[in-house]
Amino acid sequence: MILAVLFANSEGNILVERFNGVPAEERLHWRSFLVKLGADNLKGVKNEELLVASHKSVYIVYTVLGDVSIFVVGKDEYDELALAEVIFAITSAVKDACGKIPTERLFLDKYGKICLCLDEIVWKGLLENTEKDRIRRLVRLKPPNEF
Amino acid sequence: MAQPLVKKDDDRDDEAEYSPFLGIEKGAVLQEARVFNDPQLDPRRCSQVITKLLYLLNQGETFTKIEATEVFFAVTKLFQSRDIGLRRMVYLMIKELSPSADEVIIVTSSLMKDMTSKTDMYRANAIRVLCRITDGTLLTQIERYLKQAIVDKNPVVASAALVSGIHLLQTTPEIVKRWSNEVQEAVQSRAALVQFHALALLHQIRQNDRLAVSKLVTSLTRGTVRSPLAQCLLIRYTTQVIREAATTQTGDRPFYDFLESCLRHKAEMVIFEAARAITELNGVTNRELTPAITVLQLFLSSSKPVLRFAAVRTLNKVAMTHPMAVTNCNIDMESLISDQNRSIATLAITTLLKTGNESSVDRLMKQITNFMSDIADEFKIVVVEAIRSLCLKFPLKYRSLMNFLSNILREEGGFEYKKAIVDSIVILIRDIPDAKENGLLHLCEFIEDCEFTYLSTQILHFLGTEGPKTSDPSKYIRYIYNRVHLENATVRAAAVSTLAKFGAMVDALKPRVFVLLRRCLYDGDDEVRDRATLYLNTVGSDGEVIETDKDVKDFLFGSLDIPLANIETSLKNYEPAEQPFDINSVPKEVKTQPLAEKKAPGKMPAGLGAPPSGPPSTVDAYEKLLSSIPEFSDFGKLFKSAAPVELTEAETEYAVNVVKHIFDKHVVFQYNCTNTIPEQLLENVTVIVDASEAEEFAELASKPLRSLPYDSPGQTFVAFEKPEGVPAVGKFSNMLRFIVKEVDPTTGDVEDDGVEDEYQLEDLEVVAADYVMKVGVSNFRNAWESIGPDFERVDEYGLGPRESLAEAVSAVISLLGMQPCEGTEVVANNSRSHTCLLSGVFIGNVKVLVRLQFGIDGPKEVAMKLAVRSEDDNVSDMIHEIVASG
Repeated sequence: MILAVLFANSEGNILVERFNGVPAEERLHWRSFLVKLGADNLKGVKNEELLVASHKSVYIVYTVLGDVSIFVVGKDEYDELALAEVIFAITSAVKDACGKIPTERLFLDKYGKICLCLDEIVWKGLLENTEKDRIRRLVRLKPPNEF
Repeated sequence: MAQPLVKKDDDRDDEAEYSPFLGIEKGAVLQEARVFNDPQLDPRRCSQVITKLLYLLNQGETFTKIEATEVFFAVTKLFQSRDIGLRRMVYLMIKELSPSADEVIIVTSSLMKDMTSKTDMYRANAIRVLCRITDGTLLTQIERYLKQAIVDKNPVVASAALVSGIHLLQTTPEIVKRWSNEVQEAVQSRAALVQFHALALLHQIRQNDRLAVSKLVTSLTRGTVRSPLAQCLLIRYTTQVIREAATTQTGDRPFYDFLESCLRHKAEMVIFEAARAITELNGVTNRELTPAITVLQLFLSSSKPVLRFAAVRTLNKVAMTHPMAVTNCNIDMESLISDQNRSIATLAITTLLKTGNESSVDRLMKQITNFMSDIADEFKIVVVEAIRSLCLKFPLKYRSLMNFLSNILREEGGFEYKKAIVDSIVILIRDIPDAKENGLLHLCEFIEDCEFTYLSTQILHFLGTEGPKTSDPSKYIRYIYNRVHLENATVRAAAVSTLAKFGAMVDALKPRVFVLLRRCLYDGDDEVRDRATLYLNTVGSDGEVIETDKDVKDFLFGSLDIPLANIETSLKNYEPAEQPFDINSVPKEVKTQPLAEKKAPGKMPAGLGAPPSGPPSTVDAYEKLLSSIPEFSDFGKLFKSAAPVELTEAETEYAVNVVKHIFDKHVVFQYNCTNTIPEQLLENVTVIVDASEAEEFAELASKPLRSLPYDSPGQTFVAFEKPEGVPAVGKFSNMLRFIVKEVDPTTGDVEDDGVEDEYQLEDLEVVAADYVMKVGVSNFRNAWESIGPDFERVDEYGLGPRESLAEAVSAVISLLGMQPCEGTEVVANNSRSHTCLLSGVFIGNVKVLVRLQFGIDGPKEVAMKLAVRSEDDNVSDMIHEIVASG
């Protein structure tokens, strides 16, 4: 299960947070834990360089993309490698939606489109799509190229 | 040229300052959502409003029921628009709002229309939305379309239906299970993702059918799997099949070749999955491990942190069971100590601590010292635990390891971290006699400046136990008495007790300790004064150098031999009355935590798959239950109730488990039954027990269950008589007999006539361990010495070839059913010998202690020396009989 996908800006403010199967009372804890993790480790990290951590039986893969930090949390079959796949799909789709590495402003400008991309990538905690070209077509309700 | 540059910079500043969602407010956005009701829809404007709503929801904002309903109804109007971008937004918005069952109806017809649309993408999205918001009744209406969608040519439609299936399996498994033919077909799909999703769903549908899973794995490992993700799933399912299958006659492991071939796959994800699968195989040999370790070693120097993390995490696990296999990677791992990612560095350190040899300890400690200052507490705890195990492995190195622990104890850190260090020092003091005095002094220095009351009291208690036995107990007094001056009341009270212990145990110190205790009589806190008064009046002799009476020592400082949790519960249940609280009435059984409580919170219940496990499994509840049944009321005091044993497999029509209740002259079987068929009511439910293989038991009474409706567990009982005080054993076969009546699940009406039926259950055994209660002792050596050698019986046994020493140890523990003491149930990696200490109470309330010494030689032959001490020679002999016949 992919427990959470979270986007934050460079000050640690949440831009997008989507939880799956995480009780409401634990969400705040996760949010602050992730933001702190990012503040401690993401300084000076190159765009899209993946960092990884584990907290109890849960894995976290996170990275930075322009002004935006991205965190993906998973457990069981979604271990660090599967999450790396998920975050790769997310970063490619975000770059594609924004046309370049996003500033916070650009990210917010393309907010609707990014939400649609996320909807195609993760559906209630399961990975559904991974390729950016396909995702780009799906959010416009166009069938995938290979079909 | 300069002008445009400046202008551009200005633009950028504006851009950075302005956010499209600046000052966004829920109320205003909800107002804006009224545009959805306009007769002339403006798709662009509507999309913008939906984006704002999504932004609010993604920030954790919630809508009230009324707000959500209003937005939902307004959004449904947008189906009128033909704008494709807007339609995509509408699908997402409906999913986010997750409308309630009575609202769903508004949107179903639009979605059903989209689901049968000629536009594939409408179909795919409509399926996802419908499956998200639908309930069982609607699902049966759309089931036909979903089955078609699973085998649709368009991979997006097929994936949408398959992923929906995975979600729906949690809520309506009976419907999804009907799709297995279509899912089976989709597994053969050429589209990579369809195959991945289909494989996941098919496995979930069939996960309880071993044969089907085995067939699935066999066919796919021979065929082609298109996506790395699906290949990873296949590897997982393959390991499941390997776990359940025996090795072939030639000794080869089935499917090992497949796993090994995956190590050469082009996707890193697959290589890792295969390597991990190999390392986790039961009883994996070095030959099998080598190729997996080799690929993992290569990844240790990968430029990608995720791969380094995955590799070191896997190797860390392997090091717990096969440290020698990992030593080749030590050089690569040492370079990871300086890895920027602290998770990787911590894993590398703890792995090295497991695989390192005695000569490398000092070098390793130097590296770790530099590393400790810049990691978080949670990582430090892992390192401290690893150092503790290392010290137990190489006791000669205790000096440098103990110094390291005491140094980090003085540095900054939170409670959990400090507790881990203190626990480690305490364990080392207990297990390595040479480390004792040094370790105690480190602890004394720590409490001089300790901010945690809990740790101070723990250490004071420990000092009281160990300090008097050292060569010069007087040197600890200063540290203890300082607490009386400088600390809060809780610590002061603990310090008074510790002082008194020194006074009672070391006669030479008694006069001086009495002087100190007398000063405590003027303390400001009641508890501290009370304790001081108690000790001054009981330790006795008015502070002269005379030995304190043994009974007094036992009364003041002896172990209660009762689990504290039990005494707490009993005291809470005790109501003030004429009769004083009787400590003998407290149950001595150590309560194990029920499995269900250990599960992670928030886990979805697996439908009907897991039947409720009957009434609460506490001894008190059982005792109450049994004494309320007149047939069993004269059986006397309940000695022990075993943990429930399942007599049926998962997902059968009737789920039955049994709890064995042991009395002095009787045994009662409590069958917890659950009926999982909604269309049936069972009446007059009994279990017919055949005791022909249990000669010493005679059936005495049976209490049938009058009625067993669907999904509402009930109990039926059968009681047997057995010779008093004898640990009689035997095997019982069980048949569930009942009258079954048809029920109409919609109306709940029951037919009058029923049919008698039977249902075969698994056999049940009463074993010797059922007559031993797990009762721990706080200090085994003291308990062993106090029980004395009068009824000691010692003998040696050959246990034959065993998988490992750990396996032999756990087999003997479960055979005897006793409580392992002082963590001795854990066998250190690769050790050739081990001592395990057990304690318990035998039926008839006879205390028994067991000391097991194991040794293993080259061909894995295990020999065991068993020493038993008890209060009754018959019991000592009986423990030997249990082992001899087991």
